Amino acid sequence: MITGTLINYYFHCQTQCWLHANRLNLEENSEDVRIGKVLHEIKEEKSKQTEIKIDNIKIDRITKDYLIEFKKSDSDPEAVKWQVLLYLHKLRQKGVERLGKVEYHEKNHNTKTEIIELNDENEKELLAVLENIQKLIDSPIPPLPKLENKCKKCAYYEYCFI
Amino acid sequence: MAKNHTRYIFSMGELKRKDNSIAFSNEKGNFYIPIEDTRELYCLNEVSFNTKFLDFISRAGITLHLFNYHGNYSGTFYPKDALISGDLTIKQAYAYMQSRHEVAKNIVLAISKNIYETVYHYYRHDKKELKPYLDWLKSDVPKFLQKDISIEQIMFIEGQVWSRFYDSFKHFLPEDFVMNKRVKRPPDNPINALVSFGNTLLYTKTISQIYNTHLNQSISFLHSPREGRFSLSLDLSEAFKPIVVFKTIFDLVGRKQLQVTKHFDKSLNYALLNEEGKKIFIDAFETRINETFMHPRLKRKVSYKHCIKLDGYKLIKHILEDREFTPFSLKEKM
Repeated sequence: MITGTLINYYFHCQTQCWLHANRLNLEENSEDVRIGKVLHEIKEEKSKQTEIKIDNIKIDRITKDYLIEFKKSDSDPEAVKWQVLLYLHKLRQKGVERLGKVEYHEKNHNTKTEIIELNDENEKELLAVLENIQKLIDSPIPPLPKLENKCKKCAYYEYCFI
Repeated sequence: MAKNHTRYIFSMGELKRKDNSIAFSNEKGNFYIPIEDTRELYCLNEVSFNTKFLDFISRAGITLHLFNYHGNYSGTFYPKDALISGDLTIKQAYAYMQSRHEVAKNIVLAISKNIYETVYHYYRHDKKELKPYLDWLKSDVPKFLQKDISIEQIMFIEGQVWSRFYDSFKHFLPEDFVMNKRVKRPPDNPINALVSFGNTLLYTKTISQIYNTHLNQSISFLHSPREGRFSLSLDLSEAFKPIVVFKTIFDLVGRKQLQVTKHFDKSLNYALLNEEGKKIFIDAFETRINETFMHPRLKRKVSYKHCIKLDGYKLIKHILEDREFTPFSLKEKM
């Protein structure tokens, strides 16, 4: 079963996706991930509604019209988009229709939002993506990482390039 | 004394949770240890604490290493949220079956190379008597290790590397620190006491570093996994012994910062560091293990302590991706 984190990682970096899926989650030491987690906790405290778990996905918040995903920064909107589409697809299977909304909570209280809609076209694409992810994580060894700028702040950097 | 998230407690007393701090109290009063920049706590004396305290440090991800009065290691208290991966453990066991010899050989080769670098320093400073040992390390040891040999033979070579190393001390250490024979439990002279204490400290540091990876602490390659200890920590600490433990000893002894009559317990035939001696040793040990340098491959600053964890990553890569496991080299700094 593919989680929101996995589909996000797949678009961000396939090596990270493989390692995470194969239970090598090194994020524990990453300050950025810790900030992300704390942000989730603070948001939860403010809204009375807490994180919802459906099957294997965790939804930050759900309102009458929207499914809301909180993010620390807008560094990889493409990855977030697919994560939200997965959630919308899962909800649709349960008979729940919502629009997706991503809230980027950056420093200085600047909040940017983005609306994402699940339609026939991107739903079909999503199913193909899920199949590809399954193929990737089933392969015996992780794909070789390519050094990019984003690698420097990744929790897997040292593992990948040692 | 506290450097880089490690705190040492030398005196008797009680550890407790006081609001959101760690409090250490004895007849001299209360001392507070800020929890947020503590990762490891070493108790080198009789210390009492309760489950409320253990729960508190567990949630903060602190490992607690316990020693008895004689400086012998008693054990480690671990936070519950360990990075446990059943999948990796299975593959680690498989790697043990498939490539134990290869990994063990590379560990022995790394010990020998790092000793070479350490001893070469004295050779360069006119201790020409060290030449035969250096030549043996450089050419004979790798040659032996290339052969198709049993694990017992690999361990025999390792034993030879160390015993000839101890034997070489007579050429560069002051006479009262020369070692006639390596004796472990209990050590019987000052140099053995230093080696035992230093190796144990390094062993616990390695346990804490492995704890931050998914490796299984009990499946080892050079040491027998049957030892019933965290034998992987023994394996991964080997390459760092010459660099961290012995360089610390040689510096302290060479500069006369540690002296037999002043820093060892006379009643036990000088075979045990006294409290003052332990403090001097730990201070130098911490400075050494936290020394930073530029990692040539990662292009970022790392400490020797961090390199122990990186060796853990290298081992995971060997286990998962079948990449050769080459422990840290003092010469290449990676």
